[in-house]
Amino acid sequence: MSTLYSRLLDEPAALVGACYDEAFRLTPQQILDIQLSGARRRFADLRARIPVLDRLGEEQGIDDIQRIDDVAPLLFAHTVYKSYPMSYLERGQFDRLTRWLNGLTAEDISHVDASGIKLIDDWIDLLDAQTNLRVFHTSGTTGKLSFLPRTDREWRQNIALSANRIRDWRGPGSGPDLLAEQRPLIAPAYRLGASAAARGGGYQVEMYAGGEENALFMYPDARFSADVASLSGRLSAAEAQGELGALQISPALLAKRDELVRVERERPEQLRRFFAEAIRRFGGKDVYIGAVWSILYDTATEGLARGARGVFGERSVLHTGGGKKGKNMPDNWRDQLIEFLGFDNFYEFYGCSEQMGFCMRCEEGHYHVPPTTIAFLLDPATGKPLPRKDGQTGRFASLDLLPSTYWAGLVTGDEITMCGLEKPCRCGRNGAYLLPAIRRYTEKEGGDDKVICAGAPAAHDEALNFLTELSE
Amino acid sequence: MTKTWTVPLIIRGNVIESDEQRFGGRRGGVSFTAPDVRRHADELTLRAPSMMSDLYALSLDEIVDFLVELGQHLNFADNRHLQQAFELACTTSGLSESILRFHYTRTPRLFQRDELYAIVARSVGADYLEGWVEQPGKLIPGVSARTRAFGARCVHVIAGNAPVVAVLTVIRNALTRSDAIIKAPSNDPLTAMAIARTMIDMAPDHPLTRHLSVAYWKGGDEAVEQRIYDPRRIEKLVAWGGFDSVKHITRYLQPGIDLITLDPKLSGTIIGKEAFADEATLASVAKRLALDIGAQNQEACVSARVAYVQSGTDEAGLARCARLAELTFEALQRLPDTLSTPHKAFDPVLKEELDGIRMFADEYTVFGGRGNEGAVIVSRDGTPVSFSRILGCRVGNLVPVDDISTAVRSVNAYTQTIGIFPETLKAALRDQLAWQGAQRLVSLGAAATLQHNLDRQDAIEPLRRMVKWVTEESADPALIESLAG
Repeated sequence: MSTLYSRLLDEPAALVGACYDEAFRLTPQQILDIQLSGARRRFADLRARIPVLDRLGEEQGIDDIQRIDDVAPLLFAHTVYKSYPMSYLERGQFDRLTRWLNGLTAEDISHVDASGIKLIDDWIDLLDAQTNLRVFHTSGTTGKLSFLPRTDREWRQNIALSANRIRDWRGPGSGPDLLAEQRPLIAPAYRLGASAAARGGGYQVEMYAGGEENALFMYPDARFSADVASLSGRLSAAEAQGELGALQISPALLAKRDELVRVERERPEQLRRFFAEAIRRFGGKDVYIGAVWSILYDTATEGLARGARGVFGERSVLHTGGGKKGKNMPDNWRDQLIEFLGFDNFYEFYGCSEQMGFCMRCEEGHYHVPPTTIAFLLDPATGKPLPRKDGQTGRFASLDLLPSTYWAGLVTGDEITMCGLEKPCRCGRNGAYLLPAIRRYTEKEGGDDKVICAGAPAAHDEALNFLTELSE
Repeated sequence: MTKTWTVPLIIRGNVIESDEQRFGGRRGGVSFTAPDVRRHADELTLRAPSMMSDLYALSLDEIVDFLVELGQHLNFADNRHLQQAFELACTTSGLSESILRFHYTRTPRLFQRDELYAIVARSVGADYLEGWVEQPGKLIPGVSARTRAFGARCVHVIAGNAPVVAVLTVIRNALTRSDAIIKAPSNDPLTAMAIARTMIDMAPDHPLTRHLSVAYWKGGDEAVEQRIYDPRRIEKLVAWGGFDSVKHITRYLQPGIDLITLDPKLSGTIIGKEAFADEATLASVAKRLALDIGAQNQEACVSARVAYVQSGTDEAGLARCARLAELTFEALQRLPDTLSTPHKAFDPVLKEELDGIRMFADEYTVFGGRGNEGAVIVSRDGTPVSFSRILGCRVGNLVPVDDISTAVRSVNAYTQTIGIFPETLKAALRDQLAWQGAQRLVSLGAAATLQHNLDRQDAIEPLRRMVKWVTEESADPALIESLAG
């Protein structure tokens, strides 16, 4: 049997199904070989099939990749996957949105006729029905949704890889093999929809839980609507356009916002009911939970207050990538969580939903970049790559070589310190790793007491929020 | 090594440089020290309103004489206070050195005698400042009234994106015989100080010098603001800037304090189909549009950001609009460096947006935007880009339309200035634009360069609101007595 090195050299996606631990035993030279050959292969293949990538290559004057640093100018701004004009959504021009998306995928979706479509949810369903794509969208916290053209095959690779990580992260076979031994799935999320979480959850039901009867979602029959998620952004855009914009939002869509407000209001109660149901159905069993810390912590304190302790089996797994989202939690929050859940088998990762190769957290608290992800730190001012030396701090950017139909090279808004390029982590794993002090560049700005006379609707939005607060 | 600046505290002719606290100094930011205003808050406000009386020993002519002389002392070439303010502004301001130098050099212009009288004539009126003016009206025979405009004790929370704001505030305060406490902004901490120090050098005991204080404290500092924003100590509050700067002020509002807000605004452009009459006209329109976008490096509220262009939206129309965008971008690059330069701190969030749209030729045509040179974007879908509210650093967005009414409907209460081409279109649209919320309509190209006057700002008259309109009435004693029965 060929080595993992030679298989990855041939095709980076060979990481899926392989022993994940082995990927961190490669030598620095092997990692570099895999990355350089993978980047060449993906760029050459995808450039011919993804028009937007071709234009970027042309703009940057890069025809082929000679050195690792040649990849940096080819990374997409994270805004690329949400670069469509808002009017496509407002005016229901889904044929144009399809054409836009066609520019970002190696799959040919030009045959899809979306001309009669009025809602994003319907557009996504149409693409599901007529193409290999299972498009997912971001949650739209910034007000505009990104749409990512990931195929059904890539989704399956993604979910399988996730299981491989859990199985092998602390040594080959150290964790349960979720694909081989199916187990109950618990997710405080929507069962349906095309958000990254809802899509992932759907595949996990099939691949980890073996069916709906072995899964529990907080909203089992509800869909996380892309239309609702995009509405907040559209309302603010409408404001910026004056009367012109206000006219473009249909009453049907405005009604959806009320629905969202209702669901959010009922969330604490739903969360209580959800975990009670989880304990009733799956208490004492080894389960799989995918959730962010803050939700889990709320549930744990609530559960502990009611006397619930050690509710799940000790071979259960918690998979989480969410930060604490600014939530104030006591120093012993982790202990409380373990006391409630009854297991400490936590797998934490850093990653962006656009990519498949997540960075797992090791016992040293470092996030390890898999060999199939080429990580860069960019100078935040110039966008140029910083020297590939340990201890540099800059804007994190990376190319994930796993997806083969869309370009997963992105510049994030995160400020990160990277090591492991020269000296490996004390945990023994080879390759680049990220220090845990990760923060958004935007968090550093603001609050500087500068006063200017230019500006507008953003201030107005805040004013409206303020008024809403006052009237409550 | 970054230099630490010293920002003094100026209270009624006294320069205080002790009890220093450090401010700013975040990554890339400038750090400066300034006296702890908390220790001086009680001296900052005028103890008793009767202490305004010294201003009434001055005639308007004497006030204007003083300002004219002050203007002569504000000569950038030999005024070290202004030079220092300029030097600090070079690091705190969004304007480049060459633009700032131009602004500081032109400061004396604002103190021309004729213009000072014109400011008064356009606003309060000299007769109201100088005495009691008989009022028309005969509702009750035997009752007459006279009105006089009095200065007020006022705090000015000023904006720092251009030094003219500080200059304007000092002039307005003097002409209205008011007492000003200027809260300096962190993006221009020294300009107001420089003017106050020049007044101290020139005439330390003059009433106009003694009725101007300038302080820096961190906006929102309760220990300072609670003691100053008090109706027993001040009567009016002029607040420039965004919601953050006004939000914490609203906590102190109560009967007795009059809040005058000069909200942040955005400005735009409307270009009629006449622009495409021939290549020469188009080139001229492009130059003028570049001025509205580029002047003051698009840092001002008067700077154009989104331009509606009646080019048509079919392929030929989009091509016409793209041609205008191309010419505009070229003109932008050629603007004199006293007006506009590549931005020294190009907004990274805006850069990400530009990088995100550049490759989508069906949706956008983008000229420039690779570095910090600025950009002109054509939205081929006929609506502003979704990041239109953060346009800055010399990035304009041309929106092609078929019908000019689309442009009119885009205007709202946050629209300040609109540059319009041609003049006939301005005349035809001005009432409609006013109904929508627009506040200043100008010839294309003159938005940020050729302001006739600054007395009507954001469709209000700050000078008329800065004074107290006091009425004195007389009634015939017999008439009064008759009411008693």
